[in-house]
Amino acid sequence: MTTTNAVVSVAGLEKTYGKANERQYQALKDINFQVAKGEFVGIMGASGSGKTTLLNMLSTLDTPTKGDVIVNGHDVTKMRGNQLADFRAEEVGFIFQDFNLLESLTAEENIGLPLALKGTSSRVMDQAIHEVAETLSIADLLQKYPAELSGGQKQRVAAARAIVHHPSILMGDEPTGALDSTSARELLDLLTTINQKQAMSVLLVTHDPFSASFCQRILFIKDGQIGSELRRENQDRSAFYQEILNELGTFNE
Amino acid sequence: MLGKLALAGIKNRRRDYLVLLAGLTMSAAIFYMFANLATNTAFIKANAVTSSASLIFGFGAVLLILITIVYIMYANSFLLSMRRHDYGLFMMLGAKRKRIGELVFLETLILGTVATVIGIVLGLLMSKFLVGFLLDNLGLHLAHLVAFYVPAIIATAVLYVGLFILASLFNLVHLTRTTVLKLLHSDEQANQTQVKPFRQAVAGVLGLILLGIGYWALAAIKVLQTAAIPLALVTITLGTYLLFRATVLMFIRSLRKTAWAKKHLNSFLLGQLNFRVHNYTRMLTIVSLLFAMALGAITVGSGYHRQLPMMAGNFGAYTIAVHDKTAQEQRLIDRLDIRHQATYTQKRQGKMVYYNAAELAKEPFEQLKMTTGDNVKTSYVTESIKKFQKTGPTDIDFLGLATTSQRMLTPKIVSASQFAKQSGKTTTVTTVRVKDLQRDTPTIKKLAKLERQRFSQPAEMTIGSYQSYEMMTGFFGGLEFMGYFLGIAFLAMLASCLMFKILSGAPGDQRRYRMLYKMGVRYQLMRSGIAKEIGILFLIPGIMGIIDVLFGLQMFKPLMQSPMSPYLGIGSTFAIFLGLYAIYYLITLVLYWRIVLPKGAVK
Repeated sequence: MTTTNAVVSVAGLEKTYGKANERQYQALKDINFQVAKGEFVGIMGASGSGKTTLLNMLSTLDTPTKGDVIVNGHDVTKMRGNQLADFRAEEVGFIFQDFNLLESLTAEENIGLPLALKGTSSRVMDQAIHEVAETLSIADLLQKYPAELSGGQKQRVAAARAIVHHPSILMGDEPTGALDSTSARELLDLLTTINQKQAMSVLLVTHDPFSASFCQRILFIKDGQIGSELRRENQDRSAFYQEILNELGTFNE
Repeated sequence: MLGKLALAGIKNRRRDYLVLLAGLTMSAAIFYMFANLATNTAFIKANAVTSSASLIFGFGAVLLILITIVYIMYANSFLLSMRRHDYGLFMMLGAKRKRIGELVFLETLILGTVATVIGIVLGLLMSKFLVGFLLDNLGLHLAHLVAFYVPAIIATAVLYVGLFILASLFNLVHLTRTTVLKLLHSDEQANQTQVKPFRQAVAGVLGLILLGIGYWALAAIKVLQTAAIPLALVTITLGTYLLFRATVLMFIRSLRKTAWAKKHLNSFLLGQLNFRVHNYTRMLTIVSLLFAMALGAITVGSGYHRQLPMMAGNFGAYTIAVHDKTAQEQRLIDRLDIRHQATYTQKRQGKMVYYNAAELAKEPFEQLKMTTGDNVKTSYVTESIKKFQKTGPTDIDFLGLATTSQRMLTPKIVSASQFAKQSGKTTTVTTVRVKDLQRDTPTIKKLAKLERQRFSQPAEMTIGSYQSYEMMTGFFGGLEFMGYFLGIAFLAMLASCLMFKILSGAPGDQRRYRMLYKMGVRYQLMRSGIAKEIGILFLIPGIMGIIDVLFGLQMFKPLMQSPMSPYLGIGSTFAIFLGLYAIYYLITLVLYWRIVLPKGAVK
């Protein structure tokens, strides 16, 4: 893996909460890793391990204390104000545990929002929305409001919104956390399809071994540091799942 | 312990509480000021122009009470929206419902009582200031108007504390009946209501018809008499409500289908409005009516203020008459913009005053002619000396040129030769009629003062239409004052109603804007999005209110007869009023930004 091929490149990342003269808490310590273009990477760790903090740094929702984060060639740590907003709008697609759909908008309007922010013409927008709706088989749900959708449907709409503008990376923060097992499996299958068909890089943060078993590579994070790394290579998913469980067994000791 | 926690919750949101307290205090203060007038029968009797003045004040009081109830309802819902989550959390941690109920009850009641007490004190101070202001700046002298009036204090205290006890009970019931989970997740769910086109169309048409009836009733106040006001109030309220329900939603929905809706945050804006406006229909109706009443009241008030000088023209053939003018008076006269000026020589003897016919033939005395009927038109005419010799001695303006403290002297017009022989004290009198009384008022005021100083007799009839103007200013003062006062009171209440209603939706919006922030919406875009959303919520009742006023002013036509008109010069009044309204909008906007915008988004 070469640096030029990386979508995300993190070097010497640190995050300390609390001011210099107060009691400080170091949430992240010297994190280094890369995500290659088209890769499906998982970040696993228990609650409080720092995985959400890490995701927030990558997506510019929070600023690091030290270190570099480069996403698709942009040095995220040097951006300010509108640059940050534009970066999130253009380069990153988000899926959250609690869907984060705007309940005053229809599914179609929710999906179209990232394009509207860019000022895309309505014709192009309609086309993009319908394309992505076909891929995620939600074409018949477009006119509904989030309140009329099931959890699984909501998350598919959220996924559609996350990829409609072809971001350079799709980030998921426990996207299956609020779903039943069938819906969770469907969503993960969809993410795999998107990853393979559209060669979109995916970064998944989770504490669930089942979700993680869909990834190609998993980084284990503990107390703010990356402890170990697991690669799926050519194993089938269930074998990889077993390997993850074993790793977790020893990693959490 | 729980009490301490509740107090800590209040401390955390002290700024929001301060806004709430300030709003309630202002409302109580305004109510006190109005009650101070409305319950003061001596004041009303002394300043009433029409016999129905106490009726008008009673009507105003009822309106104000209704508005106060609505206002406290909205303020209370704002309070509740701030506290639901906290109390839900306490209950989840195992606090007893009864204990929570007590806390809520006490919190509401204490807040209300504090607001009422401060409000009454503030109202006292404001009344004092207002009386002074009216005396100094508007030249109104209102008899029997005092700042400290016990019945008004009692009325305000009883109404407010009573309403707050009701509000406390409502909160108690509401919080103890709602499930903990609902309290914790109280962020509004967007309820999408079904649109039934046929029903909407019927509602829209019905609304228009009702509005039509209401507007007609206002215009036909001469026929309908006092029945016009309640009729108009009911039909316009219902009509506005139905029209809002039918059209605003349809309009937003059709906008959502356009390409414009797909640009930037427009779809979000329309989505927000879509479910807001539905929630807000009732409130927008009330606010639009309040807006109309406030604007209408101020327009009429300032209309009287501006137009009295025009009216005064109807009351005399000349603006002022100066006797034996001095050099100083001449300088003042030179400053006036004069339409007509004439000087006559008088010889006063006993009960008689003699004029020179030759002088009057050369410089005929102008007489006031008025047409009768609805549209009174005034003109100034002169007659031949032969005719004037007969009519002149009965013309009140001509008689007024020579008065003493006991009587008006009887005029007699004699030939030049007779006049020369006539004995008596010789006086010259100069009559002046100005183009624009309002413009020249300050100068004429000085002239009138000099005249009064120089001649010991009460100069009432000697100084023409200016004197009538001075008298009328006092006479119409009550109406003018009530217009200003009610206008400002209504404006303050309506804008606060709107403010609290909008602000009580803010906690639910917090989450939405946090989502937009995460999605990469620029800070500026969110700011302008909120500005538009709230702007539209302010704009809708504003537009409807202006339309109401334009029709409603018809009502004052009988009271403001030609050449006065309730529509004259309303532009500047509207501009000032809209300026004040805009200030309220800006306050609401800044508060909303502070509550809603994600903290991380601020650079």
